[in-house]
Amino acid sequence: MSTMVRITNGWRGRCARAGAALAVSAVAMGAAAPQAFAQEIEFWTQSYGDLIAWQRTMDELTSEFEEQSGIEVNHELVNWSVAFNRWLTVAQGGAAPDCADMFWLHSFSAIGGDEYGPLPINEYRDRWPDLEAQFYEGSLQDVNWNGDFYGIPWRGDVRPLIYRTDYAAEAGLEGAPDTWDELVEHAKAMTVRDDNGNVTRWGFALGPDNVSQAYVPYYWQAGGLFMTEDGRTATIDNEATRTALTFIRDLVWEHEVLNPDFMERGHDPEADFQSGIVAMIGSAPGPTAPTLASDFPELDGKWALAIPAEGPAGRDAYAGSGYFGVLRGSDNVEECVQWLQFLSTPDSMQRLSEASGNVSPMRDVMASDFWSDTEWKKTITETLEHAHTSQHPSPVWNALVSPEPGAVIYDMMYEAVIQQQDLDEVIARAQERMQSEMDRAFVEE
Amino acid sequence: MERQKRLFCYLMVAPAVIFTFVLGLLPMITSLGWSFLEYDLIRVQQTGTPFVGLENYKEVLSDGRFVRSITNTFLMTGLVIAFAISLGLVLAHVMHSNYRGRAIVRVLICAPWFVPPVVAAAIWMWLLNTDRSPINALLMDMGLIDSNIRFLTDSSTWGPFSVPLLSVTAVRAWNGLPFIVIFILAGLQSIPRDLYEAADVDGGNLWHKFRYVTLPLLKPVLGVLIMLLLITGIGHFEINYIMTGGGPQDLTNVMAVYSYLQAFNFFRFDLASAAGGVILVLTGIICALYIRGQLKNRDDR
Repeated sequence: MSTMVRITNGWRGRCARAGAALAVSAVAMGAAAPQAFAQEIEFWTQSYGDLIAWQRTMDELTSEFEEQSGIEVNHELVNWSVAFNRWLTVAQGGAAPDCADMFWLHSFSAIGGDEYGPLPINEYRDRWPDLEAQFYEGSLQDVNWNGDFYGIPWRGDVRPLIYRTDYAAEAGLEGAPDTWDELVEHAKAMTVRDDNGNVTRWGFALGPDNVSQAYVPYYWQAGGLFMTEDGRTATIDNEATRTALTFIRDLVWEHEVLNPDFMERGHDPEADFQSGIVAMIGSAPGPTAPTLASDFPELDGKWALAIPAEGPAGRDAYAGSGYFGVLRGSDNVEECVQWLQFLSTPDSMQRLSEASGNVSPMRDVMASDFWSDTEWKKTITETLEHAHTSQHPSPVWNALVSPEPGAVIYDMMYEAVIQQQDLDEVIARAQERMQSEMDRAFVEE
Repeated sequence: MERQKRLFCYLMVAPAVIFTFVLGLLPMITSLGWSFLEYDLIRVQQTGTPFVGLENYKEVLSDGRFVRSITNTFLMTGLVIAFAISLGLVLAHVMHSNYRGRAIVRVLICAPWFVPPVVAAAIWMWLLNTDRSPINALLMDMGLIDSNIRFLTDSSTWGPFSVPLLSVTAVRAWNGLPFIVIFILAGLQSIPRDLYEAADVDGGNLWHKFRYVTLPLLKPVLGVLIMLLLITGIGHFEINYIMTGGGPQDLTNVMAVYSYLQAFNFFRFDLASAAGGVILVLTGIICALYIRGQLKNRDDR
């Protein structure tokens, strides 16, 4: 938001006239001295980790930046529970900050087009001459779209396997499962039933409560890719889909180690892991381990992370991401880019990573003492080597993997795994639906 | 003087009218307009929002999921009305009677009113979670069940009924009960006591008094109540969405949830608006019937 707008909006009653005069002066000064910077920029981030620690870190960073540049950064926290709808509104012309911590670049760029949403900052790209050397390659894919450069990656959400070491020891197991076959054996050994045969502890959960995201790494591990590189063609009617769906279906019905309600609302593997109802999660979201370490002292020494078990084609780990970028409509692009430069220094990146508990896409940060002072942090760093970006080159990707009935991947999983319908028919139907959804993004000239 | 009085009245109602128009009517009209356009967020920057007539309505009405949601909407609304009004009649009598501790009972009956639907849904979601439900634990300890009841996830059906549908319906009825009880209680308090005394003289028992005095005199109140519950029930969203998201297998999917998912998960504002348009039409029909009934009653009087 420009200084003028901010001031005009901010003053009321008898101050309005003085405010308008100030705003006019600011504009006049800007015109007379093109090198002068706006004094304020509006910056949004989502909340991460310990809210107080996150806010304190942001306050420190904004103060240091203001001291250095004279630009005041007004930081606003966006709660994750409303983040998606808020960014959807921004991408359609709703109130937007100057710059922000963003995600889902491909979808929001497509929705906003040339008018709203993320702004390409190609002309500022050379402000980061060592980007490729400093950052992991996969993270840079997430800030480029259609040949344009949109900002600086700052956080990753890499998902290793997590398991209860006390339950594993109780079952006579050593270490984490290394392959899918071992995963089944471990899950069976850690599943516990009562006298009536009811499961009181499930040996395995796929991933987070977002079941579509939970499915994705298993498909990759089976050797599949969801679409072609240009984002135009769906590629799920293949053997990898059959393998992944059969594996999951067997976990539920044949081995009975995965809760058959895992696709329903209210199923929360992380909460179940914390309360001992689940013994192992194959793809545990980034905050799982930091939360256990900080909020569950009673579980100290009872859990461990491991690199995901190897499927027929690899041990790919799901990797979500977030980046700092600029918004269309901002009058303060130069100031925002300076702020982004400040945030992307190794020192800032280190502090952001420590405060949020998120892995950093910057190599130096992940090589720091902070990310190697415990076994679980070392494992996260090792898992980065197997990280597979969750971003896909289609604007409809997030609609395809929505964790709700009606979404292509959700319906395919539900029909194949829960309803145990014929796999070939389910997959062919899903392929057709996915292609039709992807075609939405490409309008014939 | 008369003109000033009228002006004062207009000024008094103006804020309510403005709020209703800006926050109620305007979004509704806008959404109705979108239902006749192609409004796909993924394409809107390239194609704009061309007029497509009734295409969106054809698409949603040919979607089995939406048709199922219409059935569920009416079924759940009907069950909520039947269950909540039956229980409401009993509880209103409990609140109406004179006995020691009545104040405490009144507070307890009204308690669900203090809980916003979103919070109620979250609490009940935990209470009915298959693995963590204290209800299941209690029933298990009492030896009444030997495996957990899957309150919100069991996909077995008996006709259109299922455990999740009944569970969500019960929560909706629970949350709406205080409103119904207070409404009926107001009706009960308006019935002259001498009518009950006359029934006593005629030798009428409790059932006779209820059947021939209370029920006929509550009829107008119950009529209004049923209409209001129908209108709010058809557009109901939050408890269904939070507790089950419409699942399992669409057994609890209602029209408003379908509409929400189309807009915010699949970026199809046109289809969401068409689903909203269907809700609007159905609600409009009920409102029209209600207003017609009211006018007829007035003419009869």
